[in-house]
Amino acid sequence: MPQATNCYRRCIESGSRPEYTNLTTAKKILANGISEQEAIDRAKQGDAECFAALYGLHKRRVYSLCLRMVGNTAEAEDLTQEAFLQLYRKIATFRGESAFSTWLHRLSVNVVLMHLRKKGLPEVSLEQTLEPQNEDGPRRDIGARDNVLAGAIDRVNLGRSIESLPPGYRIIFVLHDVEGYEHNEIAEMLGCSIGNSKSQLHKARMKLRDLLKLSQAQRAARR
Amino acid sequence: MTCAEFQRVLPYIIDGGGSAEEQQHLATCQVCSDLIADLRYIAEAAKLLVPMEDPSPKVWSGIQESLEREGMVKPARKHF
Ligand SMILES: [Zn+2]
Repeated sequence: MPQATNCYRRCIESGSRPEYTNLTTAKKILANGISEQEAIDRAKQGDAECFAALYGLHKRRVYSLCLRMVGNTAEAEDLTQEAFLQLYRKIATFRGESAFSTWLHRLSVNVVLMHLRKKGLPEVSLEQTLEPQNEDGPRRDIGARDNVLAGAIDRVNLGRSIESLPPGYRIIFVLHDVEGYEHNEIAEMLGCSIGNSKSQLHKARMKLRDLLKLSQAQRAARR
Repeated sequence: MTCAEFQRVLPYIIDGGGSAEEQQHLATCQVCSDLIADLRYIAEAAKLLVPMEDPSPKVWSGIQESLEREGMVKPARKHF
């Protein structure tokens, strides 16, 4: 039996396991004993079936990233497609200095950012997405305590609140707090200063805090 | 130090910790320490968000079609 077919079948079977993220590349064993590394090596030589298997393994994470960054299904699907096409074209340049998932993730972020820049919308231009400085945040030296959020956030709620952030805030929040990039990496990706990245992240979190408190209050009122 | 002054520097010190004066304010100010607790809680909750959805099968068909059009792969069966 040709190796490719084995690879195909073995990889497919574990295609959409979500819990791969805790494993290192070396330990990532696809079904029936083929490692992700083997699938990568064969995909590099043009094995389309191993490429399909890599798609199966990583599609959910790439799609979720795109969806969170652009906030709309149709665009996220197009971007997922573009990210994997680029993967196919570039996989031979993957040298294994970082984990494959990290490399693919970064490639996908770049595809999304490129798309947003091409659209010419102010989405990546952080300065332009600044809302008028609102001075009515929590800052005060006297007065009653706000309700604190502690324990009140659930995933669905947080996911929805992130979606409703202004695009510039959403991108930086997703990159930093959801996806775990550092400010220096974000500054490099977005072409802004580290200080700018920090202040935008702060504004995004403040905005989310408002949104979450609002939904907390609405839920309390319904009770 | 006032709350407004503290909150102006907050974006830059929330991860690394602030000066003695800033820490002093935080230790004595309920409003600012509540605020920091909320912001950290949001950041923690965000880390727990996991990819939940698969893309629709048409994404894979689109990839296949593009690769075939570019002659990068031979027409094959369609999966996913
Ligand atoms: Zn204060």
